[in-house]
Amino acid sequence: MIETEKLTKRYSDGNYALRELNISASEKITAIIGRNGAGKTTLIRILSTQLLPTSGTARVNGMDVITEAGSIRKSIVSIPQEAAPIGILTAFEQVKLYLVGRGMSFKDAAQSASMALDELDLREAKHYPTDTLSGGMKRKMFVAMALAANAEVVFLDEPTTGLDPISRLEVWSAIRRIGSTVILTTHYMEEAEQLSNEVILIDNGRSLEHGTPADLLSRFRGKIRVEINGQCEDCIHIGSLSVKYVNREMADRYIDMGFAIRPITLEDIFISRGVSIES
Amino acid sequence: MNLKFTFLLAWYYGLRTVGRGPSYIVASLSSPLTLLFIVFIISRGTLVKYAIVGGFIGLVASVALSSAGDAAFMRLQLRMQDLYVASRVNPSDYMLGLTLSYLMFSLPGIVLYSILGYYENVFTLPDVLALAGILALLVVSTSSISFIVSSSIKHVRNVWGIAGIMSVVMTVLPPTFYPYTFIPKIAIYALSVTPVTPAAVLTQGAFGLSPLMAMEIPVMLVETVVYFSLARYLTRWREK
Repeated sequence: MIETEKLTKRYSDGNYALRELNISASEKITAIIGRNGAGKTTLIRILSTQLLPTSGTARVNGMDVITEAGSIRKSIVSIPQEAAPIGILTAFEQVKLYLVGRGMSFKDAAQSASMALDELDLREAKHYPTDTLSGGMKRKMFVAMALAANAEVVFLDEPTTGLDPISRLEVWSAIRRIGSTVILTTHYMEEAEQLSNEVILIDNGRSLEHGTPADLLSRFRGKIRVEINGQCEDCIHIGSLSVKYVNREMADRYIDMGFAIRPITLEDIFISRGVSIES
Repeated sequence: MNLKFTFLLAWYYGLRTVGRGPSYIVASLSSPLTLLFIVFIISRGTLVKYAIVGGFIGLVASVALSSAGDAAFMRLQLRMQDLYVASRVNPSDYMLGLTLSYLMFSLPGIVLYSILGYYENVFTLPDVLALAGILALLVVSTSSISFIVSSSIKHVRNVWGIAGIMSVVMTVLPPTFYPYTFIPKIAIYALSVTPVTPAAVLTQGAFGLSPLMAMEIPVMLVETVVYFSLARYLTRWREK
């Protein structure tokens, strides 16, 4: 569904956002994870034809982002990371406007907008100016655009950043209702684990890991994470925190030594980069 | 062209905004009405007709030029442009929709100036038709300048400052609120770089307040075409 080959983006200030990135994704929901500044947003913007790459190729549904941008645009929806509604307009008006922009008739757009907003539990709120809505409702309004547009591929750039836990759960539920292929970026590992069938980890503009959440976690089979505030031998140090991966059977011994025990999550893919878990 | 989108954007972003935020009307009227008051006081009422006619021009031009701030804000802060780039909307539909929105912002002011003009016996029906044509060209040319400028704004913090400077310089310096005969012809030619100048000169001529300077007709037409074409080429749609 999406693939890149040696995709590079160098900004005018000389900084590289992407460095010869090679990825491909074809699952129902793919999460692109990475730290802030890893290149996630640049990748999404190139794939959704908002930004030109410096070199390399990127394809969406087999179409090239440079030479076939017009065709790609007909088949995608892309919700930018910091997209904010025009506060004075209602959620209904903004979804309808977006759908008319995609070529729907006024009648169809109104019907689809209303249905999508109702489906995302915005029935009551849809006719209020969006500057009166909560952050979660605003994000759901954008997800409603994606739902109503019925596009083949939906790009969501950090759809839940800055939301409270309840709003985040609401947006997750909304994303699951989108029938199309979804490519989302996030730096919340829990989000990637909960939502995606496939995970691509990028850092410093390069792809580091690629697989299903289960694949990526398989190297931790039988392990647990132990952590302590302070120094420890053979540990990974993150600020004042020291982290180590040990066999589950050794948990009690580490608890006695004052370590806290944590279950393994996708976050550990990040933390463990560069260390051999088997050792 | 997707005219449905263009008109819906104008309807929502223009009329709905005016309806739900009456302060926009006051804001768009404040500058021309203040200048009308000053001209009235300084000229002891003798130049008030110029100020009323200039008020139409000043109002439409200042709303359209201030829109550079809106267009940049929607691109940089709301990310609306990104949303529409990755869809079927093309830049011309988007630009035209926003331009028509700004025209809608001006409507309450145009109504107010029409009432003032009626009471001051400023215009006849042919004058109104000439004014409508001039204002239509003016809104296209000044909005085009706004889009070109807004594309070059890189930070939200600069958005309103640049738009404000543009609006004041380009609407107050030209002979919008005073007879164009007050300044040398060479200055008229120099100031014609802003479409507000030919619009003001032609309006004063059409209303019989000053001699008609016919040369400004082609200037106005050419500027509208040139600025609109430049906006199409220079306005950043897909980023590099």
